[in-house]
Amino acid sequence: MTAIDPSTLAADVPVHRTKRPDWLGVALALALGVVVVIPLLVVAIWAFAEVWRYPSLLPQEFGFRFWEATLARPDVWNAMSLSLRLSVTVTLLSALICLPAAYAFARLDFPGRNVLFLSFLTSHAFPKFGLLVAIAGIFLNLGLISTFWGVVLIQLVGTLMMMIWIPVAAFQNVDRAMEEAARDAGAGPIRVFWSVSLPQAAPTIFAAVLLSFVGTFYETEGAWLIGAPEIRTMPVLMITYINNQIVVQYGAVLSVLLWVPSFIALMFTRRLVGSGSFAKGFGV
Amino acid sequence: MTDLASSGTRRTGGTAASNGRGLTGLLLVSAPVALLGWLIIYPIFNAIARTLVVQTETGTAFSVDTYVRFFSDGYALANLWLTLWVTAVCAALLLAICLPLALYLRFAKSRVAGVLQGLALFPMFVPSVILAYALIRTIGPNGGVDLVLNALGLPKINSPYLTPWGPIIGLVWDNIPLTTLMLVAGLGAVSDNAVEAARDAGARPLALLRHIIFPQIGNAMLVVLSFTVLSIFSAFTLPYVLGPASPEMMGPFMQRTFSQVMDTRMAVTQAVISFLICAVFGAFYVRSIAKNREARR
Repeated sequence: MTAIDPSTLAADVPVHRTKRPDWLGVALALALGVVVVIPLLVVAIWAFAEVWRYPSLLPQEFGFRFWEATLARPDVWNAMSLSLRLSVTVTLLSALICLPAAYAFARLDFPGRNVLFLSFLTSHAFPKFGLLVAIAGIFLNLGLISTFWGVVLIQLVGTLMMMIWIPVAAFQNVDRAMEEAARDAGAGPIRVFWSVSLPQAAPTIFAAVLLSFVGTFYETEGAWLIGAPEIRTMPVLMITYINNQIVVQYGAVLSVLLWVPSFIALMFTRRLVGSGSFAKGFGV
Repeated sequence: MTDLASSGTRRTGGTAASNGRGLTGLLLVSAPVALLGWLIIYPIFNAIARTLVVQTETGTAFSVDTYVRFFSDGYALANLWLTLWVTAVCAALLLAICLPLALYLRFAKSRVAGVLQGLALFPMFVPSVILAYALIRTIGPNGGVDLVLNALGLPKINSPYLTPWGPIIGLVWDNIPLTTLMLVAGLGAVSDNAVEAARDAGARPLALLRHIIFPQIGNAMLVVLSFTVLSIFSAFTLPYVLGPASPEMMGPFMQRTFSQVMDTRMAVTQAVISFLICAVFGAFYVRSIAKNREARR
């Protein structure tokens, strides 16, 4: 969490070093900390509360009763397995079609390269839900509404940006001199790609794949609009729980369960997300 | 990231070799480009055509009846106004919160900056469904905030849950990371030398902001603004879960028209109207991406 990418924060600036504590920073961090952490903390407490009646500041009884109750529900397991199947399918398909394309955009020269690349960035230029409704209109005619593959397609489109522009940057940053050296030593193009280029780009590409997987797992709007009523993913199930206001703890336990993938993503990708290149992908 | 032109492979071989390469490149990008064409570009034109052309007994005819119906329906207009208002408030709040954060992150060198950056990025990893649930439990009726206020002997808050302020709080929370990141990236364009020089010349912080920093990040701020408007205008999950049922924001309105009222043509009309309203921001967004690419060449 404390790792800062030097390129964003310009560490090489002449620094006026003083021993004075950074009060402004502490105040900002405290304010943001309260706003960001408190809502999540409340949910975490709810997940382990067996009895929590107003106006007690803390639950009267703690325990795991509702974990058992939540995990005993078949709809939770169905949603979990569906969400995992969807996320794996979408991420694999996305990697299959996007990574070669990213390599081509980064390293090959072909007619229309710039225009085609720019067209991916402009997919951000339309209000997303409006676009989903327009797609849903087409899917309705094709019979893709409320089907697994309809949701796969809509979520696949959502990963295109991430899986193209982050890997493009990764392939562009590969050290050309090393590739040349390998080629001079007699390695063929495929061998050079496999042994020299790919290992250098791999960590960034892995981060992009992980972000796509987690993003797809949490994707709600496409699944809700295209998938309803048959396809009930974890986030969709969560909305039903919120709307129907059944036992408070079910939602809390699900939230805590759903955090696990978030935290993994956070740990592996914070360096990428904190770097300037991530923001540049949004056009700054 | 976007400066493709600087890294192109140099044509060293003959025409035949470069033609072969061109074909390989096109082949490799064809699948995602086809998907983009089918599921982003085509639906936009399809939506416009679907709403404007109707099948009658005498054949196809041009009609704007759904648009007339939208703009003469008081409820639809109330939804549109609510959406515009929420979007404007969110954009203003986001700039007010994220600009100081970004300025601090750009110029601070203390260890606190690392913690702050982590905190500012954190909401990116919290899915909006969980956020919605957490906010209901925190600022909803008898939620966490009420518990604390009650323990302190203070009156309860007027809960923003199911009012327009519910989605506003959620959307601002959700958009803090990207807005901050984009602003920090924009502030990267401000040269440290200029700031140092002005500081040495005795410029106060406000003067520094007005004369050195703002002129250089104007474009970045407009990009951030466009991006925010585009993502908030048609937000669905947070307005659906946290917002009022009537009037509702455009996201839930479109969803209801499509899935419950089953009026596909009207839902698509609402989508086209939201495209049109966001077109200015979308066009600006695309133009500034293109301009940045030109500048980097």
